[in-house]
Amino acid sequence: MNQQPFLRIFTAPATLCAVGFVAAMVAVLQYSLRAYVPGSLDPGGFTLANFADLLKPLYARVFLDTVVVCAMTAVVTLIVGYPLAYALVRVEQPILRSILLVIVVTPLFLGEVVRTYAWIIVLGNNGFINSLLMSLGLIGKPLQLMFTPFGVVVALVHVTLPVMVIMLAAGLSHIDRDYSRAAESLGAGPIRVFLTVTLPLSLPGVVAGTTTAFAWTFSAFATPQLIGGGRVNMISNLVYQLGFSSFNFPFAATLCVAGLALTALVLGLLQLASRPLRKIEVH
Amino acid sequence: MKPSASAEGEQTAVHFDAVTKRFDDVVALSAVTLGVGRGEFVTLLGPSGCGKTTLLKLAGGFLGPDGGSISIEGKRVNDIPTYQRGIGMMFQNYALFPHMSVAENVAYGLKTRRVPRVERDKRVADALALVKLKGMENRKPRQLSGGQQQRVALARALVINPTVLLLDEPFSALDKSLRTSMQVELREIQRKLGLTTIFVTHDQGEALSMSDRVAVMSEGRIRQLGSPVDVYRSPADPFVASFVGDNNRLRGQLVSVHAKQAIVALGDALVNVPGESLSGLEKSAAVDLYVRPEQFSIVAPEEPCAIKGSVVAQIYQGGHVDLQIECSGGTGDRLLVRSPGEQAVLRWPMGAPVGIAIQADRCSVFPVG
Repeated sequence: MNQQPFLRIFTAPATLCAVGFVAAMVAVLQYSLRAYVPGSLDPGGFTLANFADLLKPLYARVFLDTVVVCAMTAVVTLIVGYPLAYALVRVEQPILRSILLVIVVTPLFLGEVVRTYAWIIVLGNNGFINSLLMSLGLIGKPLQLMFTPFGVVVALVHVTLPVMVIMLAAGLSHIDRDYSRAAESLGAGPIRVFLTVTLPLSLPGVVAGTTTAFAWTFSAFATPQLIGGGRVNMISNLVYQLGFSSFNFPFAATLCVAGLALTALVLGLLQLASRPLRKIEVH
Repeated sequence: MKPSASAEGEQTAVHFDAVTKRFDDVVALSAVTLGVGRGEFVTLLGPSGCGKTTLLKLAGGFLGPDGGSISIEGKRVNDIPTYQRGIGMMFQNYALFPHMSVAENVAYGLKTRRVPRVERDKRVADALALVKLKGMENRKPRQLSGGQQQRVALARALVINPTVLLLDEPFSALDKSLRTSMQVELREIQRKLGLTTIFVTHDQGEALSMSDRVAVMSEGRIRQLGSPVDVYRSPADPFVASFVGDNNRLRGQLVSVHAKQAIVALGDALVNVPGESLSGLEKSAAVDLYVRPEQFSIVAPEEPCAIKGSVVAQIYQGGHVDLQIECSGGTGDRLLVRSPGEQAVLRWPMGAPVGIAIQADRCSVFPVG
């Protein structure tokens, strides 16, 4: 009867994980619909008041900031990552290629917290950038880089870059070199070849990379917590404050559900907008 | 540029002069010299790794030579990038731009040349008419069959009036019947436009049927350059003899050599063979005879013949029959014999003892080693 006798055994752990995950999500959803009883860890009765509270300017503002920071991070990561991915795919010397790969991939193994601390050292008032600029006499007093959206975006770009580069490189490496050779044979110089052939054919990779970068950043916690220092708040930071400082579990859960819904919405819109690109078939 | 480009310069569209190319330590081409006349269809034929594609890429400028010079229309192009060479190229997988329509693909080379809109549209329409693809302008490449994609690739390469057309195994992805008709069609168009063409293939049938001249290559050298008939009838060396067309190799011993004639002993039999390639060779030296399957004829075993054996396989091919004959003497050597018509199927059944006679005046002989 069963054509793949091992399938059940292999899928069993996955099913267990999925059941656990679904249970957790149901719990979060359930909490988001309960009333907050100040001074108690147990929630009150069912209510929709939490979702109405989301519209308060204080919270709506955090959602907007999160979307803006994520969008900026995605765009900057794309701009920084594209040339890296292009070089990674097109560079022919094996040594140079290995160096590039190490530069791109190593941050992935360092973890968000370690990378963020590194950025604190770079961005701080007595940090690398300010020391350098001051010793060069370009500025009189330190620039405020820490605790600004700029600082958060810079650090998040670094966190997101490996994923972006890997996804872009995957897309670029699937483009047959004969396309650019054909364009050259037809009289197109390097810039024209890039703009009319390579770039359009890499757009599916660009969409995939940007979407992933956006979703990747949306749940960022350590970076905005440490570099934003309370002045740049993203959804995760708000969830942490409400859940673990105020012990308002129901509203923290509501924020989670709303954040999830917003991510799904933005990703859905991106997919919809990129639908025409799916017709590009790269053999 | 020499002003007196010489008579040869006026005739030659593409000239490779002692071109050498190395990949790391591997020599891909060693001092290859080849001139392709204007309007000529020259095929580079050889097994994979022989350097034929490398030579084509050098002509296209996708690679640079390590030594020697390449000129197109009398102008040295070693340092001129691909996009300024004015070539047309057809790729093995066609490399049609998947995000552009058929018309946009064909118009691409005209846009880079800044041809005005009206003229561009007209030339695209003409090129598509030439390859019989009228009405397909707005299709995307993936909506076309393999044969149609190939026509688009051809139109795209032709529309820019290239100085030379480079073809990199363009038929290898097509099925056999389509391939034959595309070959005929391509050759017709090439003749009509008088296009200088360099064609790369590993398929010797394709090379023989399409070319004005064939350059047989192996290990980075041109082993023989000549018309298809020359290459088939008078191979220059054992490699060409065994690579182009079917051939049987028979080991023999030189008995005597006399200017254009030589006598070779094959076992007990003596055969008269052309002797040009054997001059200066000592008596009783080992030689190899290359005999085409159609240069054998099968006779009854009691009749005079050079070799005796028995039929071990019959391959009926419609117009002719291929027979495999195992030579007697226990060596296990098999010979391929081609017999026109279909009588051989009944006349020489499996296992039948037969004799083989050789039309030795047309075979090729080379000293061993």
